[in-house]
Amino acid sequence: MKTALLIAGDSIRALLHHRLLLGLMLISLAVTVVFSILMSNFQHNVSADFLDRMTTNAPSGAPAMSEADKRKMRETMEQGSSMFQAMFYQAASFGGSLVALFIFSTAVTAEVRKGTIRVTLSKPVSRNQYLLGKYLGGVVVMMGYAFVTSSAILLFAGSQGLSLSPAMKFAPWLMFCRQLMLGSVAMLLSLFVHPLIACALAFFAGNGFYSPYNPLYYLLPSYGLFNSFFQFLQGTMLTGKDVLWLTLYALDFAAIMILFALWRFRSKELI
Amino acid sequence: MTVIRTENLGKTYGGGSATVALRGLNLQVGAGEVFGFLGPNGAGKTTTIHLLLNLIRPSSGAAFLFERPVVGVEVRRRLGYLPESVNLHDYYRGGKLLEFYAALAGVPRETRDARIAHLMKLLNLQEAATKPVTKYSKGMLQRLGLAQALLHDPDLLILDEPTSSLDPVGRKEFRDILLALKGQGKAIFISSHILSEVESVCDRVAILQKGELKRVGTMQELSAVKSTRLTLKNLPGPLIEALAATPAQLTMTQGQVVIKCPDEATRKVVEELLARHSLVPDRVETDTQSLEDIFFSTIETQPTT
Repeated sequence: MKTALLIAGDSIRALLHHRLLLGLMLISLAVTVVFSILMSNFQHNVSADFLDRMTTNAPSGAPAMSEADKRKMRETMEQGSSMFQAMFYQAASFGGSLVALFIFSTAVTAEVRKGTIRVTLSKPVSRNQYLLGKYLGGVVVMMGYAFVTSSAILLFAGSQGLSLSPAMKFAPWLMFCRQLMLGSVAMLLSLFVHPLIACALAFFAGNGFYSPYNPLYYLLPSYGLFNSFFQFLQGTMLTGKDVLWLTLYALDFAAIMILFALWRFRSKELI
Repeated sequence: MTVIRTENLGKTYGGGSATVALRGLNLQVGAGEVFGFLGPNGAGKTTTIHLLLNLIRPSSGAAFLFERPVVGVEVRRRLGYLPESVNLHDYYRGGKLLEFYAALAGVPRETRDARIAHLMKLLNLQEAATKPVTKYSKGMLQRLGLAQALLHDPDLLILDEPTSSLDPVGRKEFRDILLALKGQGKAIFISSHILSEVESVCDRVAILQKGELKRVGTMQELSAVKSTRLTLKNLPGPLIEALAATPAQLTMTQGQVVIKCPDEATRKVVEELLARHSLVPDRVETDTQSLEDIFFSTIETQPTT
């Protein structure tokens, strides 16, 4: 285990020094921020427009805004806020998926391509320890990414004076679980095919494209279960039990993928 | 004890248009032996090393390190490896990179710093310890690569083209380090193109061509006698006439006669003629083949397919 942790530590260091990955993360965060600002403006315009219609267009001497109008206005503003958070979440989730695909699909293949794996594996490091270390390193970086993006959502929502959607409670965790599944598939596939193809296959290998009558529906991962977009929009949230089941599903799926990856990696030619 | 043993080791790449990289290699390297592994490009040297390191799987046969199959992790506790193109993690500083490899190699924490400092000094890298690896020159990288291979004081060193990036001074220093390691009883397996380097440090050499082991042995075993010079004071006239009929060349200088025999057969004929006249040479000098001669004669005499 100590060796796997050493490899994980090295992997984290490598990822944090990776310009392309850092660029991808920054772009992802930037897109998230831009989305938030756009949505914030949208929300502001909608509210202002509504207020305008309620007040300026009202005939002079008209009575003050009725309770029904105020409620309607509040609802509109809340809808705007939910939309803002949903879009923020969606952008962060998409960016995170790209980051996860990049991290996990290149974790081993980049070292094989550069030749650095030869020196590492000339030390008393088993292939299992190596692969698990690489995976663990990726998981930690993805956790960090989920933490940073969630903090960004909280900060922006706070700065805009928006009330947080109830969906926000579990959304970052579900986003992380989804990325874990995506990454596990990408890592496994990258041991068979080029990382780019592995990324594409992993991304489009969700069962959302198939009907429940198709056997593939039950074999392929259900990424859609982890998408909180509509929960944000509807202002609903999953129960703790739901999240627990989803977590177990994600862990189970990731574990199966990693077991396959270990099996494949054991016989892979590393030159 | 045998540190490296291969039994009919073979490797074929690809499916339909398969390339045979190595076929039926039988090799043994003993403890404390410095073994040179020679061959032109594509001979199968690096493939053999990759098989020994378990980076690739053999298509046939088996490889053993310290009499244990190479697939085990434990054998690598006693192994140090320097790859041909030294690609090290470039997001570290030199000293930190060695710390990482030392931890992987199982060097105890309490001795780690001292060991790293010792190797940095030995390889003239003290100044570069805090420098990012990206700033290292090729020669420095090669030395850093050697440092990581020596970190855990291994019993066997596998060096793939170890001096390819070093300047003459670096090569000399490297050779001195190898000789020092040889003195400590370490087994060293060197794959190299630089024949003079191999000749100066190796106890035995093997020559590989197109995946096949052509020759293996000590320099004495491999080198044939090129020519022999026999020096005498005087030769009677009839003997001179008899010698003139052989392929031997006669040179007379300052009252001495030098008979140069181009091969062993001629030498035998000349010695018989001298014996008939009851003459014994004052001096016998033989020219043996250098490793370069051996290498090229081995490579050239093999028909190309």
